[in-house]
Amino acid sequence: MEFTLLWQAGLGIVATVIVARTQNRRVVVEPGVDLGDRLVGAAVAGLVAGRITAMILQGVNPILRPADILVVRGGVHTGAATMAALASLAWGLRHNLWRNLDAAAPAALAGLAGWHAGCVFRDACLGAASSLPWALAQSGSTISRHPVEIYAAGLYALAATASLLMGRGWRPGVLAGFAIAVAGGIRLVTQPLRPSIGGGPVGWYLAGVVAGIGISAWNRVRTAQAR
Amino acid sequence: MVALVVAAAACSADPAVPSNREPIPSLTVSEFETLLGSADQPLVVNVWASWCLPCRSEASLFRSAHVEFGDRIRFVGIDVRDSQAGGLAFLNEFGIVYENYFDPEGAIPAELGGFGVPLTYFFAAGGDRLFLQSGVIDERTLALQIDELLASP
Repeated sequence: MEFTLLWQAGLGIVATVIVARTQNRRVVVEPGVDLGDRLVGAAVAGLVAGRITAMILQGVNPILRPADILVVRGGVHTGAATMAALASLAWGLRHNLWRNLDAAAPAALAGLAGWHAGCVFRDACLGAASSLPWALAQSGSTISRHPVEIYAAGLYALAATASLLMGRGWRPGVLAGFAIAVAGGIRLVTQPLRPSIGGGPVGWYLAGVVAGIGISAWNRVRTAQAR
Repeated sequence: MVALVVAAAACSADPAVPSNREPIPSLTVSEFETLLGSADQPLVVNVWASWCLPCRSEASLFRSAHVEFGDRIRFVGIDVRDSQAGGLAFLNEFGIVYENYFDPEGAIPAELGGFGVPLTYFFAAGGDRLFLQSGVIDERTLALQIDELLASP
Protein backbone atom coordinates (compact mmCIF):
# COMPACT_ATOMS: atom_id res chain seq x y z
CA MET A 1 0.00 0.00 0.00
CA GLU A 2 1.35 3.39 -0.99
CA PHE A 3 0.85 5.49 2.14
CA THR A 4 2.98 8.44 1.05
CA LEU A 5 0.83 8.83 -2.04
CA LEU A 6 -2.22 8.77 0.21
CA TRP A 7 -0.76 11.57 2.31
CA GLN A 8 -0.08 13.57 -0.82
CA ALA A 9 -3.62 12.99 -2.08
CA GLY A 10 -4.91 13.88 1.39
CA LEU A 11 -3.27 17.31 1.26
CA GLY A 12 -4.89 17.93 -2.11
CA ILE A 13 -8.29 16.91 -0.75
CA VAL A 14 -7.94 19.09 2.36
CA ALA A 15 -7.03 22.14 0.23
CA THR A 16 -9.94 21.43 -2.11
CA VAL A 17 -12.50 21.02 0.67
CA ILE A 18 -11.38 24.14 2.58
CA VAL A 19 -11.74 26.40 -0.47
CA ALA A 20 -14.91 24.61 -1.62
CA ARG A 21 -16.56 25.28 1.74
CA THR A 22 -15.69 28.95 1.41
CA GLN A 23 -17.20 28.95 -2.06
CA ASN A 24 -20.31 27.09 -0.88
CA ARG A 25 -20.94 29.98 1.49
CA ARG A 26 -19.97 32.94 -0.64
CA VAL A 27 -21.16 31.90 -4.11
CA VAL A 28 -24.75 31.03 -4.95
CA VAL A 29 -24.66 27.32 -5.69
CA GLU A 30 -27.82 25.29 -6.18
CA PRO A 31 -29.27 23.85 -2.95
CA GLY A 32 -27.90 20.48 -1.94
CA VAL A 33 -24.74 20.78 -4.01
CA ASP A 34 -21.48 20.58 -2.07
CA LEU A 35 -18.63 21.65 -4.32
CA GLY A 36 -16.08 19.77 -2.23
CA ASP A 37 -17.96 16.47 -2.61
CA ARG A 38 -18.31 16.97 -6.34
CA LEU A 39 -14.63 17.85 -6.79
CA VAL A 40 -13.33 14.96 -4.71
CA GLY A 41 -15.70 12.59 -6.52
CA ALA A 42 -14.44 13.91 -9.86
CA ALA A 43 -10.83 13.40 -8.75
CA VAL A 44 -11.55 9.78 -7.81
CA ALA A 45 -13.34 9.18 -11.14
CA GLY A 46 -10.37 10.69 -12.96
CA LEU A 47 -7.88 8.60 -11.01
CA VAL A 48 -9.69 5.34 -11.81
CA ALA A 49 -10.20 6.19 -15.49
CA GLY A 50 -6.60 7.36 -15.84
CA ARG A 51 -5.22 4.27 -14.14
CA ILE A 52 -7.32 1.89 -16.27
CA THR A 53 -6.29 3.72 -19.45
CA ALA A 54 -2.62 3.57 -18.44
CA MET A 55 -2.94 -0.17 -17.79
CA ILE A 56 -4.49 -0.76 -21.21
CA LEU A 57 -1.75 1.26 -22.90
CA GLN A 58 0.87 -0.70 -20.92
CA GLY A 59 -0.64 -3.96 -22.19
CA VAL A 60 -2.20 -5.00 -18.88
CA ASN A 61 -5.82 -6.12 -19.16
CA PRO A 62 -7.80 -4.48 -16.30
CA ILE A 63 -10.57 -7.07 -16.56
CA LEU A 64 -8.18 -9.98 -16.15
CA ARG A 65 -6.08 -8.15 -13.54
CA PRO A 66 -8.40 -5.80 -11.62
CA ALA A 67 -6.10 -5.67 -8.59
CA ASP A 68 -3.53 -3.83 -10.73
CA ILE A 69 -5.85 -0.81 -10.71
CA LEU A 70 -4.78 -0.19 -7.10
CA VAL A 71 -1.11 0.11 -8.09
CA VAL A 72 -1.47 3.77 -9.01
CA ARG A 73 2.28 4.30 -8.86
CA GLY A 74 2.46 2.18 -12.01
CA GLY A 75 1.04 5.16 -13.92
CA VAL A 76 -2.09 7.22 -14.46
CA HIS A 77 -2.89 8.52 -17.94
CA THR A 78 -3.07 12.31 -17.73
CA GLY A 79 -5.47 12.90 -20.61
CA ALA A 80 -7.97 10.19 -19.66
CA ALA A 81 -7.86 11.20 -16.00
CA THR A 82 -8.48 14.86 -16.79
CA MET A 83 -11.33 14.19 -19.21
CA ALA A 84 -13.01 11.75 -16.84
CA ALA A 85 -12.68 14.17 -13.93
CA LEU A 86 -14.12 17.06 -15.96
CA ALA A 87 -16.94 14.87 -17.27
CA SER A 88 -17.77 13.69 -13.75
CA LEU A 89 -17.69 17.26 -12.43
CA ALA A 90 -19.84 18.56 -15.29
CA TRP A 91 -22.38 15.78 -14.68
CA GLY A 92 -22.50 16.53 -10.96
CA LEU A 93 -23.01 20.26 -11.58
CA ARG A 94 -25.11 19.98 -14.74
CA HIS A 95 -28.20 21.85 -13.49
CA ASN A 96 -26.40 25.18 -13.45
CA LEU A 97 -23.27 24.08 -15.24
CA TRP A 98 -21.21 27.17 -15.93
CA ARG A 99 -21.99 29.07 -12.72
CA ASN A 100 -21.22 25.97 -10.67
CA LEU A 101 -18.02 25.26 -12.59
CA ASP A 102 -16.94 28.85 -12.01
CA ALA A 103 -17.60 28.41 -8.30
CA ALA A 104 -15.62 25.16 -8.26
CA ALA A 105 -12.61 26.60 -10.13
CA PRO A 106 -10.74 28.12 -7.14
CA ALA A 107 -11.19 24.93 -5.11
CA ALA A 108 -9.94 22.78 -7.99
CA LEU A 109 -6.84 24.95 -8.36
CA ALA A 110 -6.28 24.90 -4.58
CA GLY A 111 -6.53 21.10 -4.70
CA LEU A 112 -3.86 20.96 -7.38
CA ALA A 113 -1.69 23.25 -5.24
CA GLY A 114 -2.13 20.88 -2.28
CA TRP A 115 -1.39 17.81 -4.41
CA HIS A 116 1.86 19.29 -5.71
CA ALA A 117 2.89 20.58 -2.26
CA GLY A 118 2.26 17.05 -0.98
CA CYS A 119 5.45 16.00 -2.76
CA VAL A 120 7.16 16.67 0.58
CA PHE A 121 5.53 13.52 2.01
CA ARG A 122 7.10 11.40 -0.73
CA ASP A 123 10.46 13.18 -1.00
CA ALA A 124 9.45 13.76 -4.60
CA CYS A 125 9.75 17.51 -5.10
CA LEU A 126 13.00 17.71 -7.04
CA GLY A 127 13.56 17.95 -10.76
CA ALA A 128 16.25 19.07 -13.15
CA ALA A 129 19.75 19.89 -11.92
CA SER A 130 20.29 23.53 -11.02
CA SER A 131 22.94 25.78 -9.50
CA LEU A 132 20.43 28.35 -8.27
CA PRO A 133 20.81 29.23 -4.57
CA TRP A 134 17.51 27.64 -3.55
CA ALA A 135 18.17 24.37 -5.38
CA LEU A 136 18.17 21.29 -3.16
CA ALA A 137 19.95 17.95 -3.31
CA GLN A 138 18.22 14.70 -2.49
CA SER A 139 19.68 12.70 0.37
CA GLY A 140 22.90 10.96 -0.60
CA SER A 141 23.44 13.12 -3.67
CA THR A 142 25.68 16.07 -4.42
CA ILE A 143 23.55 17.28 -7.34
CA SER A 144 21.36 20.29 -6.52
CA ARG A 145 17.99 20.34 -8.23
CA HIS A 146 15.02 22.61 -8.85
CA PRO A 147 12.21 21.98 -6.33
CA VAL A 148 9.91 21.84 -9.34
CA GLU A 149 6.82 20.53 -7.56
CA ILE A 150 7.06 23.40 -5.05
CA TYR A 151 7.20 25.82 -7.99
CA ALA A 152 4.06 24.18 -9.37
CA ALA A 153 2.34 24.28 -5.96
CA GLY A 154 3.14 27.99 -5.62
CA LEU A 155 1.82 28.78 -9.08
CA TYR A 156 -1.39 26.82 -8.46
CA ALA A 157 -1.86 28.61 -5.13
CA LEU A 158 -1.43 31.95 -6.91
CA ALA A 159 -3.94 30.91 -9.57
CA ALA A 160 -6.42 29.75 -6.90
CA THR A 161 -6.06 33.09 -5.11
CA ALA A 162 -6.47 35.01 -8.36
CA SER A 163 -9.61 33.08 -9.28
CA LEU A 164 -11.05 33.75 -5.82
CA LEU A 165 -10.33 37.46 -6.19
CA MET A 166 -11.79 37.52 -9.72
CA GLY A 167 -15.08 36.65 -8.04
CA ARG A 168 -18.45 36.72 -9.72
CA GLY A 169 -18.07 39.67 -12.03
CA TRP A 170 -17.35 37.47 -15.02
CA ARG A 171 -19.73 35.96 -17.49
CA PRO A 172 -20.65 32.34 -16.73
CA GLY A 173 -18.00 29.85 -17.81
CA VAL A 174 -15.17 32.34 -18.26
CA LEU A 175 -13.61 31.55 -14.88
CA ALA A 176 -13.95 27.78 -15.44
CA GLY A 177 -12.14 28.10 -18.76
CA PHE A 178 -9.45 30.20 -17.11
CA ALA A 179 -8.93 27.49 -14.50
CA ILE A 180 -8.61 24.73 -17.12
CA ALA A 181 -6.13 26.81 -19.14
CA VAL A 182 -4.08 27.65 -16.05
CA ALA A 183 -4.10 24.03 -14.84
CA GLY A 184 -2.65 22.87 -18.14
CA GLY A 185 -0.35 25.87 -18.48
CA ILE A 186 1.35 25.42 -15.11
CA ARG A 187 2.08 21.77 -15.85
CA LEU A 188 3.30 22.79 -19.30
CA VAL A 189 5.77 25.44 -18.10
CA THR A 190 7.13 23.29 -15.27
CA GLN A 191 7.39 20.09 -17.33
CA PRO A 192 10.91 20.80 -18.69
CA LEU A 193 12.14 20.82 -15.08
CA ARG A 194 10.34 17.57 -14.18
CA PRO A 195 12.11 14.19 -14.43
CA SER A 196 10.36 12.00 -16.98
CA ILE A 197 10.86 9.19 -19.45
CA GLY A 198 10.06 10.42 -22.94
CA GLY A 199 9.27 14.04 -22.07
CA GLY A 200 5.90 13.62 -20.35
CA PRO A 201 2.36 14.32 -21.62
CA VAL A 202 3.14 17.79 -22.99
CA GLY A 203 0.51 17.43 -25.73
CA TRP A 204 -2.22 16.93 -23.13
CA TYR A 205 -1.09 19.99 -21.17
CA LEU A 206 -1.11 22.07 -24.33
CA ALA A 207 -4.55 20.71 -25.19
CA GLY A 208 -5.73 21.83 -21.73
CA VAL A 209 -4.46 25.36 -22.32
CA VAL A 210 -6.12 25.58 -25.74
CA ALA A 211 -9.38 24.03 -24.47
CA GLY A 212 -9.49 26.37 -21.47
CA ILE A 213 -8.93 29.48 -23.57
CA GLY A 214 -11.53 28.20 -26.03
CA ILE A 215 -14.09 27.61 -23.28
CA SER A 216 -13.54 31.08 -21.86
CA ALA A 217 -13.79 32.76 -25.26
CA TRP A 218 -16.83 30.72 -26.30
CA ASN A 219 -18.69 31.52 -23.08
CA ARG A 220 -17.84 35.19 -23.40
CA VAL A 221 -19.20 35.34 -26.95
CA ARG A 222 -22.19 33.10 -26.15
CA THR A 223 -23.33 35.16 -23.18
CA ALA A 224 -22.71 38.46 -25.00
CA GLN A 225 -24.96 37.32 -27.84
CA ALA A 226 -27.65 36.24 -25.36
CA ARG A 227 -27.90 39.74 -23.92
CA MET B 1 -16.92 5.60 -21.10
CA VAL B 2 -17.46 2.19 -19.47
CA ALA B 3 -18.13 0.60 -22.86
CA LEU B 4 -14.95 2.15 -24.25
CA VAL B 5 -12.85 0.89 -21.37
CA VAL B 6 -14.30 -2.63 -21.65
CA ALA B 7 -13.74 -2.69 -25.40
CA ALA B 8 -10.18 -1.45 -25.06
CA ALA B 9 -9.47 -3.91 -22.27
CA ALA B 10 -10.75 -6.79 -24.36
CA CYS B 11 -8.28 -5.77 -27.07
CA SER B 12 -5.30 -5.33 -24.74
CA ALA B 13 -2.60 -7.91 -24.39
CA ASP B 14 -3.43 -11.29 -22.92
CA PRO B 15 -0.94 -12.58 -20.34
CA ALA B 16 -0.84 -16.05 -21.91
CA VAL B 17 1.29 -14.97 -24.85
CA PRO B 18 3.11 -17.95 -26.34
CA SER B 19 6.82 -17.83 -25.65
CA ASN B 20 9.23 -17.97 -28.56
CA ARG B 21 12.39 -17.17 -26.62
CA GLU B 22 15.28 -19.16 -25.28
CA PRO B 23 15.04 -19.97 -21.55
CA ILE B 24 16.09 -17.11 -19.27
CA PRO B 25 19.75 -17.81 -18.33
CA SER B 26 20.48 -18.54 -14.68
CA LEU B 27 22.80 -16.27 -12.71
CA THR B 28 24.51 -17.00 -9.40
CA VAL B 29 25.47 -14.44 -6.77
CA SER B 30 29.16 -14.66 -7.69
CA GLU B 31 28.38 -14.28 -11.39
CA PHE B 32 26.26 -11.24 -10.59
CA GLU B 33 29.09 -9.73 -8.54
CA THR B 34 31.43 -10.28 -11.48
CA LEU B 35 28.89 -8.61 -13.77
CA LEU B 36 28.71 -5.63 -11.43
CA GLY B 37 32.46 -5.29 -10.99
CA SER B 38 33.16 -5.42 -14.69
CA ALA B 39 30.42 -2.99 -15.68
CA ASP B 40 31.81 -0.05 -17.63
CA GLN B 41 28.39 1.63 -17.71
CA PRO B 42 25.99 2.51 -14.88
CA LEU B 43 23.46 -0.24 -14.22
CA VAL B 44 19.77 -0.33 -13.42
CA VAL B 45 18.90 -3.73 -11.97
CA ASN B 46 15.22 -4.57 -11.69
CA VAL B 47 14.23 -7.58 -9.59
CA TRP B 48 10.84 -8.92 -10.68
CA ALA B 49 8.58 -11.95 -10.90
CA SER B 50 5.72 -12.75 -13.25
CA TRP B 51 3.30 -13.31 -10.36
CA CYS B 52 4.04 -9.90 -8.81
CA LEU B 53 1.30 -7.36 -9.57
CA PRO B 54 3.38 -4.18 -9.08
CA CYS B 55 6.09 -5.68 -11.33
CA ARG B 56 3.55 -5.75 -14.13
CA SER B 57 2.76 -2.07 -13.63
CA GLU B 58 6.38 -0.99 -13.92
CA ALA B 59 7.43 -3.34 -16.73
CA SER B 60 6.48 -1.04 -19.59
CA LEU B 61 8.22 1.86 -17.82
CA PHE B 62 11.49 -0.09 -17.84
CA ARG B 63 10.96 -0.97 -21.50
CA SER B 64 10.54 2.75 -22.32
CA ALA B 65 13.54 3.72 -20.18
CA HIS B 66 15.67 1.10 -21.94
CA VAL B 67 14.66 2.49 -25.33
CA GLU B 68 15.60 6.04 -24.23
CA PHE B 69 18.71 5.40 -22.14
CA GLY B 70 19.89 1.94 -23.21
CA ASP B 71 22.91 3.34 -25.02
CA ARG B 72 24.23 4.97 -21.83
CA ILE B 73 22.91 2.71 -19.09
CA ARG B 74 22.89 -1.07 -18.86
CA PHE B 75 19.48 -2.44 -17.89
CA VAL B 76 19.41 -5.85 -16.20
CA GLY B 77 16.36 -7.79 -15.06
CA ILE B 78 16.44 -10.59 -12.49
CA ASP B 79 13.45 -12.91 -12.38
CA VAL B 80 13.18 -14.36 -8.87
CA ARG B 81 11.12 -17.15 -7.28
CA ASP B 82 9.41 -17.77 -10.59
CA SER B 83 8.99 -20.42 -13.25
CA GLN B 84 10.74 -20.24 -16.60
CA ALA B 85 7.37 -20.36 -18.38
CA GLY B 86 5.98 -17.52 -16.28
CA GLY B 87 9.10 -15.41 -16.72
CA LEU B 88 9.23 -15.92 -20.48
CA ALA B 89 5.53 -15.11 -20.86
CA PHE B 90 6.10 -11.90 -18.87
CA LEU B 91 9.05 -10.82 -21.04
CA ASN B 92 7.10 -11.56 -24.22
CA GLU B 93 3.97 -9.83 -22.97
CA PHE B 94 5.79 -6.57 -22.22
CA GLY B 95 8.25 -6.76 -25.12
CA ILE B 96 11.28 -6.54 -22.84
CA VAL B 97 14.48 -7.11 -24.81
CA TYR B 98 17.24 -6.07 -22.40
CA GLU B 99 19.23 -8.77 -20.61
CA ASN B 100 17.36 -10.80 -18.01
CA TYR B 101 18.51 -13.56 -15.68
CA PHE B 102 16.78 -16.28 -13.72
CA ASP B 103 17.30 -16.58 -9.96
CA PRO B 104 14.71 -19.09 -8.69
CA GLU B 105 15.90 -18.92 -5.07
CA GLY B 106 16.08 -15.12 -4.95
CA ALA B 107 19.71 -15.39 -3.81
CA ILE B 108 20.89 -12.22 -5.57
CA PRO B 109 18.47 -9.76 -3.92
CA ALA B 110 18.99 -11.59 -0.61
CA GLU B 111 22.74 -10.95 -0.95
CA LEU B 112 22.12 -7.32 -1.89
CA GLY B 113 19.92 -6.77 1.14
CA GLY B 114 16.60 -6.33 -0.62
CA PHE B 115 13.29 -7.74 0.55
CA GLY B 116 10.32 -8.73 -1.61
CA VAL B 117 9.61 -7.71 -5.20
CA PRO B 118 9.84 -5.49 -7.10
CA LEU B 119 13.21 -4.01 -6.23
CA THR B 120 15.25 -1.65 -8.35
CA TYR B 121 18.95 -1.09 -7.72
CA PHE B 122 20.97 1.72 -9.26
CA PHE B 123 24.71 1.05 -9.58
CA ALA B 124 27.45 3.37 -10.80
CA ALA B 125 29.92 1.97 -13.32
CA GLY B 126 32.18 -0.36 -11.38
CA GLY B 127 29.41 -1.56 -9.11
CA ASP B 128 28.94 1.03 -6.34
CA ARG B 129 25.31 1.00 -5.27
CA LEU B 130 23.77 4.48 -5.33
CA PHE B 131 20.10 3.83 -4.65
CA LEU B 132 17.58 1.10 -3.92
CA GLN B 133 13.88 1.46 -4.63
CA SER B 134 11.85 -1.09 -2.67
CA GLY B 135 8.43 -1.64 -4.18
CA VAL B 136 7.03 -0.36 -7.43
CA ILE B 137 8.96 2.51 -8.98
CA ASP B 138 7.21 5.47 -10.58
CA GLU B 139 8.32 7.37 -13.66
CA ARG B 140 9.59 10.35 -11.69
CA THR B 141 11.81 8.27 -9.41
CA LEU B 142 13.19 6.20 -12.27
CA ALA B 143 13.94 9.27 -14.38
CA LEU B 144 15.55 11.12 -11.44
CA GLN B 145 17.74 8.18 -10.45
CA ILE B 146 18.80 7.65 -14.05
CA ASP B 147 19.77 11.33 -14.14
CA GLU B 148 21.82 10.79 -10.95
CA LEU B 149 23.49 7.75 -12.55
CA LEU B 150 24.38 9.66 -15.69
CA ALA B 151 25.89 12.47 -13.60
CA SER B 152 27.87 10.10 -11.39
CA PRO B 153 31.63 9.91 -12.04
